[in-house]
Amino acid sequence: MTDRPDHLNLLAPRETKPKLDRLHRDIMAAVGHPLSRRSALGIGGLMLLTACGSTSTGQKPTGDTTASSDALSGKPLENHLEIFNWSEYDDPSTYKKFMALPDEAKAGLKIHETYYSSNDELLAKLNAGGTTYDIIAPSQNAVAQLVQTNKLLKMDQTLLPNKKNLDPKFLKASYDPTGEYHVIKDYGITMFYFNNTIITENPQTMHDFYELLPRYVDKGRTNLLDGAEEVVPLALMALGLDANTDSQDDFSKATDFLMGIRKGVTTISASSYIDDAIAGKIILGQGWNGDVRRIVQGRKKQGDITAVLPHEKSEIWSDNWCIPKTAPHPVAAHAWINWLLTPSTAVTEMEYHNYGIPIPSALSKLPPELTNDPLFNVPASYTDNYQYILNVSPQVVQERTKIYTQFRAG
Amino acid sequence: MAATEETLEAGGRRRRTFSPRYPAWLTSPSLIYYAVFFLGPLAILVAFSLATQTGFDSISYGFDTSQYHLVVDSLYVKIFGRTLLMAGGGSLLTIVVGYPIAYWMARYLSTYKMLALLLILVPFWTSFLIRTYALKIILDPHGYLAKYLGIDIMYTKWAVALGLVYNYLPLFIIPVFASLERMDWSLVEAATDLGAKPFNAFRQITLRLTLPGVVTGALLVFIPMSGEYIIPNILSGGNYEFVGNVIGDQFASAQNQPFGSALSISLMIALSGFVALYILVATKEERFGA
Repeated sequence: MTDRPDHLNLLAPRETKPKLDRLHRDIMAAVGHPLSRRSALGIGGLMLLTACGSTSTGQKPTGDTTASSDALSGKPLENHLEIFNWSEYDDPSTYKKFMALPDEAKAGLKIHETYYSSNDELLAKLNAGGTTYDIIAPSQNAVAQLVQTNKLLKMDQTLLPNKKNLDPKFLKASYDPTGEYHVIKDYGITMFYFNNTIITENPQTMHDFYELLPRYVDKGRTNLLDGAEEVVPLALMALGLDANTDSQDDFSKATDFLMGIRKGVTTISASSYIDDAIAGKIILGQGWNGDVRRIVQGRKKQGDITAVLPHEKSEIWSDNWCIPKTAPHPVAAHAWINWLLTPSTAVTEMEYHNYGIPIPSALSKLPPELTNDPLFNVPASYTDNYQYILNVSPQVVQERTKIYTQFRAG
Repeated sequence: MAATEETLEAGGRRRRTFSPRYPAWLTSPSLIYYAVFFLGPLAILVAFSLATQTGFDSISYGFDTSQYHLVVDSLYVKIFGRTLLMAGGGSLLTIVVGYPIAYWMARYLSTYKMLALLLILVPFWTSFLIRTYALKIILDPHGYLAKYLGIDIMYTKWAVALGLVYNYLPLFIIPVFASLERMDWSLVEAATDLGAKPFNAFRQITLRLTLPGVVTGALLVFIPMSGEYIIPNILSGGNYEFVGNVIGDQFASAQNQPFGSALSISLMIALSGFVALYILVATKEERFGA
């Protein structure tokens, strides 16, 4: 972020620079992005990206100052909170009750919320600068990148007393080792499922899953989750390697492994696999636990779907509350996060979105069909072996993309 | 300004006998629009492609041609080749399907000609994205086409080809229809009177005279087909990538603007080469025909 060479070799009058800067951002808008676990239309993001751009040709580097939030306590609560979030990701009553809290009501706090459909979209908006968001909800790989590029506010821990409710395991994750830039919102894992009337074997690990692909592809459609950040790290983990490796040796092992099972893969898509699997069209596929839970419920009548929480390595993912460095209302942002860490709020939230929040006192208050379902409340004996997939460095991200392109091209 | 003068000169050469009735500067709003919204972004794309990435959200501008060396990697060359092959095949299929329709409309319809044209255009009133999703339902392995006709091509290159032809067909039919409309059909009668068999009359008169329309129509479909992103994304199930998808991945998931830009520029250069060659061959044919 610091002293970045910032010139554009163009023969143009100086005063046209702001105009060119705007064009520069607009050109970035003409890009697509891969699917996320929440996108409904496969390529909706192509049209949704409005302001992005990776260089800051015209921007004042407002986020570069090293001002920390340590001096926040004692400051008055602001009367506005700007949230940038995934759509329909929080219970409507959570917002209403927050605004009705004594301090918030006294300050006359109002919430305004806008939405994004992928981490790429969120990163593009933040990189373009000029945002006024107080709260964002990036996934773990984006958090790692935002910490690295110095875009997040160091949170004032005195304003987050409810953090004591969190399972201590989730306080300092690999994507934010000091735990000062994020608070976990919810988490899940990547697993697989298969049609047990066609596949009568007993696969246990991600490696088993990949081995089944070429053998059963003739019997029906097989599906992998798409995106370079899924396909390549998941293959690495199936081989027992580090998901976030930067070793060329590991990458070539993963490439060989992936190309070896390529013929066993019918589709690589995350946009419609829930509906397709419920319609009985997929016989073997990867999925995120919340989605697989819906597939199992959707096929209850037939009872032909077996869901497998992989032994050994797989992916654990999380969405997190973060405060951008440029947030105009940091005290309100802290108050919001602290409110979401209240056990009663966490219960409401989990019943709404069906993803786990690691607050033990809230989990115990949930109805037993949720608490006792391993697809919702994934046992720690599994997740202890799982790894967060991170945007480690531009080189690693680009290497993954190249392998992914090669895999797709077949 | 230079552009304005050149345009004038060219205009002057072509129409020596006429002098322009309006002052040329009246064109300036259009030219400015073109410069700002077409040439400007293009210049930025070139600047991007010659820049070096220094971090996740930072690049430094300069004259670094290394991205172009990466483009000629066998992986990307293969995808370029496939893209152009698919677009070429798609254009040929469009000609085969579209020409008879245009011919039928121009030759056999009189009262309902405009209605037929309207029906050709109606699908265009629906979003491109929705139409492609509709095709996904039709081609579904559990759908009617697969069940009753045994045509199960979903998630293959044939599905992509079908999507290309379906989505771009009207763009081809319209210019061909226009040139068939303008044709003097008495020439065909004359040819038959002079003993030409129907097929020969079609080949030597109708096809020759409508060739400019076919050339235009084929170009109109070939170029957007080469840059296609949505159709392979939805219909190939991730199995058949076009250059457009690779570029998209570079900008979004790899966050590598320099390489994404270099790929875009390379695609433009490759396309320009193809189009120039195509026009050369097509117009040569026309000259001999005339």
